Amino acid sequence: MKAVLALTLLLPIAVAAADTLYFTALLGHVHQAPSRPSPSLTTIQCGHPLKAVSDPKVVVSGEWAHVAVADHKGFVWKRHLSEKRPDCFQARHPKFFDALQLDLAELYYWGRLYDHWEEGEVRP
Amino acid sequence: MIFLAALFSGALYAQAPVPAEARLPQEKELDVVDFQHVKDVLKKDGLMQEVKRKKDEVERIQGARVAQEKARHNWPSEDDFWPIASELWLVKNASTLKWDFERPEYGVEETLAQLLRTTGHVGKRFRILALDAPSPAHFNLPWTKQEYCLLFSVPFARTLDLSKLEIALLLLEEVLRAEEGWPRDLVRPAKLKDLVGSNFTGQKPDLTPVFEVGTALTAFLREKGYSFQQQFQLTRKMDTLLKAHPELWNAYVRLLGKIDRLVKSNPVHAGYLKLFPSPEMQLRWLAPEEKPL
Repeated sequence: MKAVLALTLLLPIAVAAADTLYFTALLGHVHQAPSRPSPSLTTIQCGHPLKAVSDPKVVVSGEWAHVAVADHKGFVWKRHLSEKRPDCFQARHPKFFDALQLDLAELYYWGRLYDHWEEGEVRP
Repeated sequence: MIFLAALFSGALYAQAPVPAEARLPQEKELDVVDFQHVKDVLKKDGLMQEVKRKKDEVERIQGARVAQEKARHNWPSEDDFWPIASELWLVKNASTLKWDFERPEYGVEETLAQLLRTTGHVGKRFRILALDAPSPAHFNLPWTKQEYCLLFSVPFARTLDLSKLEIALLLLEEVLRAEEGWPRDLVRPAKLKDLVGSNFTGQKPDLTPVFEVGTALTAFLREKGYSFQQQFQLTRKMDTLLKAHPELWNAYVRLLGKIDRLVKSNPVHAGYLKLFPSPEMQLRWLAPEEKPL
């Protein structure tokens, strides 16, 4: 894990291909390393565009995507990414969501919540 | 008299057509801006229709923009409201519920999916959050119609050394409670019905129901809890569902026995009885009726 983090932070990253992806969870984090407890680089919200980074020097497990957002390069859980712009609560009810007046700690914890949910579906 | 005769003859003269060659240049210019003539030309070229089409298009866009702006002030639907209210409650109680902790992958979701499939809950989705707090041992939060939001306590599961199946059985109880509308209908704010789907253009949205849900959930967990009647109803439903699968039914009875012994012996988990009265009674309700010979 530390090796991945070191590679990510210290070595120059060769961006071979970059595609736009959208964040689908209500709130979430771009992590320093591809693991849930890994520290957050930044908090993002639903609909935020991210660029997929393809770097042969960074080994990422199948569940995580290596992405770039603003000045940060980090990792986001793949199940929270979509190629299509998602239908977000914040977009449907922007005034209602703004009125909640979440402080930074609440935004941080709300993002962490989406790192912890285990989701499942009962398929026939 | 002479004056009136002159005026009358003048009026007659004014109405008589003037020969083209006798008209002044200024009069001829007026022909150029003959509006009827211009209108006829425009009509002939189809320009009037084009102007009308453009005007309609502008009106349509303006209408859509107004509707879009109005929609931004819509109060959410119930399916949008409950997850937001429940998640906000989780966020505000992160320090007491202790869900932001590092834990091993339990893999309960596969076992629960299998159990739900066996008991006929096909097509449903669920999300599970593990807590590092001893209470609530298990719980469900109000969510959408198609999805269940389930919580379970890792310390509780660890103390009882619960298997994945046993945790899944506790979560199945929560699924059945959610189907009954518990605790959603027990913590439902009075004014929610009026606000859902309403529009608050020109005012601030009324957020009191969001915070009322949080207060009610905390009070429910700490003080109120489920009634004996609700527990009886739930236990009968579990009995009916699991009777067709004796191995599951036996596992459920063993689980209730474990919980009963724990809550009677370990004061850390004594609060369980306040929320779920009572495993001892549940075991009695599940016991086969003794028929006189």
